[in-house]
Amino acid sequence: MSGGWNTIESDAGVFTSLIENLGVKDVQFEELLTLDPSELATLQPLYGVIFLFKYPTDQPYSSASGPQDGTFDHDASQSIFFAAQTIQNACATQALLSVLMNKQQDVDIGSHLSDFREFTIELPPEFRGEALSNSDLIREVHNSFARSTPFADETQQQRSAEAEDVFHFIAYTPVNGVLYELDGLQPAPISHGACTPEEFPTRVVDVLQRRIARYDATEIRFNLLAMCRDLRARAREFGDDELLAREERKRKDWLFENALRRHNFVGFAGEVVKAVVEEKLKEGGEEGYDKWVKEGLERRKAAEKARRAGDGDVEMGG
Amino acid sequence: MSIQPLITFKAGQCELDTSRRPYKAKPLPELGYVYLYSEDDLIHFCWRKRDDEATNPELDLVMIPTDGSFLPYDPKSTPQPSAAKTNGRIYSLKFSSSSQRYLFWLQSKSQARNNDPTYLSPRDRKIGDIVHRLLQGEEVDVTDELASVNNTDRRPDVDDDDDDDDETMEDVEGHHNQHEHRGTGSGGAGPGATGGDVREEGENSREGGADGARAAPSSSSAPTDASDAVRNFLESLRGQPGLSGGQQAQGIDKPYPHLSHLLPTSITVAVIDAIAANAPERLDTFLNFLPPAVIVLAGNNPDAFDGKNDPSAQAVEEAKASLSLEAKKSLLKKVLRSPQFHQALGTLTQALRDGGLPSIADALGINVENGGYLSSGGMPLGGGQAVEAFVEGVKKTVKDKK
Repeated sequence: MSGGWNTIESDAGVFTSLIENLGVKDVQFEELLTLDPSELATLQPLYGVIFLFKYPTDQPYSSASGPQDGTFDHDASQSIFFAAQTIQNACATQALLSVLMNKQQDVDIGSHLSDFREFTIELPPEFRGEALSNSDLIREVHNSFARSTPFADETQQQRSAEAEDVFHFIAYTPVNGVLYELDGLQPAPISHGACTPEEFPTRVVDVLQRRIARYDATEIRFNLLAMCRDLRARAREFGDDELLAREERKRKDWLFENALRRHNFVGFAGEVVKAVVEEKLKEGGEEGYDKWVKEGLERRKAAEKARRAGDGDVEMGG
Repeated sequence: MSIQPLITFKAGQCELDTSRRPYKAKPLPELGYVYLYSEDDLIHFCWRKRDDEATNPELDLVMIPTDGSFLPYDPKSTPQPSAAKTNGRIYSLKFSSSSQRYLFWLQSKSQARNNDPTYLSPRDRKIGDIVHRLLQGEEVDVTDELASVNNTDRRPDVDDDDDDDDETMEDVEGHHNQHEHRGTGSGGAGPGATGGDVREEGENSREGGADGARAAPSSSSAPTDASDAVRNFLESLRGQPGLSGGQQAQGIDKPYPHLSHLLPTSITVAVIDAIAANAPERLDTFLNFLPPAVIVLAGNNPDAFDGKNDPSAQAVEEAKASLSLEAKKSLLKKVLRSPQFHQALGTLTQALRDGGLPSIADALGINVENGGYLSSGGMPLGGGQAVEAFVEGVKKTVKDKK
C-alpha cells in the first residue's frame, strides 16, 4: 500500500513548502481574498492561478460539444504540459505542477521536475497523469504535508459529511500567448483566447467571474490561490524592508503551521487534559469537575445544533 | 498506508456446492468481517478472518461501479413463502459482468423474536442496502444512515448486551420448490437482470423480491410484507451507533462531550495562565510535547530550522533556554488556539470512541477502569462511554498522584 496519496490542505503555506521541497526556487503562493484584477496585478510576475471548488457542482461540467466556456484545444494537449487526472487526492499537486511545468522558461523548477517534464512531455496526457501518480518523489513530498493521523484504526468508518466534501483543483495560466484552463478531468486544455502575461490578471478574473456566475450562489464554495514569484525577492530588489519583514514573518508562520500539521498531538493533548482536570479539581473539587463535564456537554449540544442549522467548517481534500 | 473501511460488519463466507441440484449453500464456520473501502475511486469488497488485519483480506474484489449487487436471499419476499427454507441470514454478491457469485451469512446476533433465523432486522437490511448502494457507486454517509436506524424506541424485551454475540448457523440451502413460477414475479427483476440465472441454483426465492428488493405486487403476500416491514422496522430498532468494534457492544450511545467540548480555548488558555502563576517550571513539560521545529521557530534563533529537516537537539535546547516565561506562555497559547490542535482533539476523541481507549490510556499512563474494556469481556469500551472512562481515568490518575 505504498502508492497512496493522502489529502492535503489547500493553503498557501502548504503549497509553497510543497513546491520548494520538490526543488522549485523563488516561487510562492498567495491566497486571494477578492476577485479583483488589481489585487492579482500586485503579485506580478504572476505564473498562474489555482482555482479550487466543491465537486461535483450543481451544473453540468461540460457537454459533448465542448466546455461551458472557452474551447477545447486538442493540439495543445501535446504541445504544452497537460496531464489527465488519475488520482483524486493528487489533484492539488497536479494543478500546481500543471502551471510550473509550463513555466520552465520563467521559473527554476529544479532538476527533479525538469527531468520529469522531459520524460513525460513526449507522452499523451493520460500517461502523464499516470506517470505523475507513480512518481515516488512527488508522492512522498505531497504526503509529507498530509495531516498526522496517529490512529488509522482499521475498523474506523469514514466520518460524517463534514470531512467528506470533495474538492477539485484546476489551474489557469498563460502559455505561448494563450490563456489556458488546465483541468485534469477535461479531455484537453481549454483555451480562453489570446492573453499576454500582462493581461493575465484582467483576463483570468473575467473568466472566473463568468464561471462563478454559472453556479447557484449557495452551491459554489471556492478558493483562489495565485502562484507568483517569491515576494521576498521583489522586496529585496526594491529595498522594501517593510515588505521583506512582513514576508519573512509570513514564512515563519507557514513553517510553524506546517510543523503543527505533521505533529502527533496525542502526548500534548494528554498533558492538557490532565492539567485541566487537575485545575478543575483544585478550583471546585468533585463538584467543579462535574460542572466542567456538564458544561462540555452543553457545548457539544450547541455545536451539534449549529451544525444542523448551517454548513460548519469545510475541509479541503482532492 | 492503512485502510479506512467505509463499513465493516460481521459475516462469514458460504461455500456453494454446485455438484448437485438444487445448489447448496454451506456456511463456513470461520468468524469474519465483510468490509468495503475505497481506493482510487474504486470500491474494494473484502472479507477477512476476525483476527486478521484489514490490510490482509482473504477476499479482495475491486468493484466496478454498478457491476455488483448485494442483496438478501430472502424467502419472505417471494410470492411463495414456502419456496425456500434457510436457517440463516444470507446476502449474495453478484456481478452483472459474470456469473460469479459470493454468499455471506450475517454473524451478528439475530434480532428475531419468533425464532425465525432468517429474519432480517432493519439494521441487517440497512447494512445490505448501504453495501449495495456503495457498489452502485453512490456516495453513502454510512454513519448518518446507520444512525437513522437508531433513533426510535427500543424493544423493551430485548437485552442489549446480546447485540454482539455471534450467531451460529449450521446450514443454508435453497431447495424443495423447483417448480416454475417465472410468470408470477412481475415486480422483480427479469431473468438475466443481474447476469446469472438464479433459478439454476434452486434459489427460487430470489425472484420475487430479492433483486432490487421489490416485492411482487401481484402476490397476496405483498401488502402484508410492506406493513410487516414497517412494523418490524420500528420494533427492532436498536441502539447501534456504529458498527466498528468499540461501539457495537454498548447499546445506545451515552451523551458525553467530546474532548474539544471539554477543552475549549477559553479553558485551556486559563489553565496555562494558572500554571504559569503557580508552577512555572511545569510549562516545560508541555513544551516537551511540541514539535521541535515549533520551539526553534519561537526561540531567539528561528533560522536554525530550515523548513525541511528537524532541527538539532542542541538547537532545540538553546531555543528552549532562550524562551522567557511570557514567551513560553504565548507559544503554548498559540498552539492551543491552532486549528491543528483542535483537529487533533477531534481525531483523538474519534479514536477513543472507536475502541482505542485501552491503547491510548496505556500510552498516556492514564489508569482507566478495567483497562478500558467492557466488564463482560474483551471488547474495548466505545462511544461516549469510552470518552467518559478516559476522562474519569484522568481524574483518578491526577488524584492518585497527590
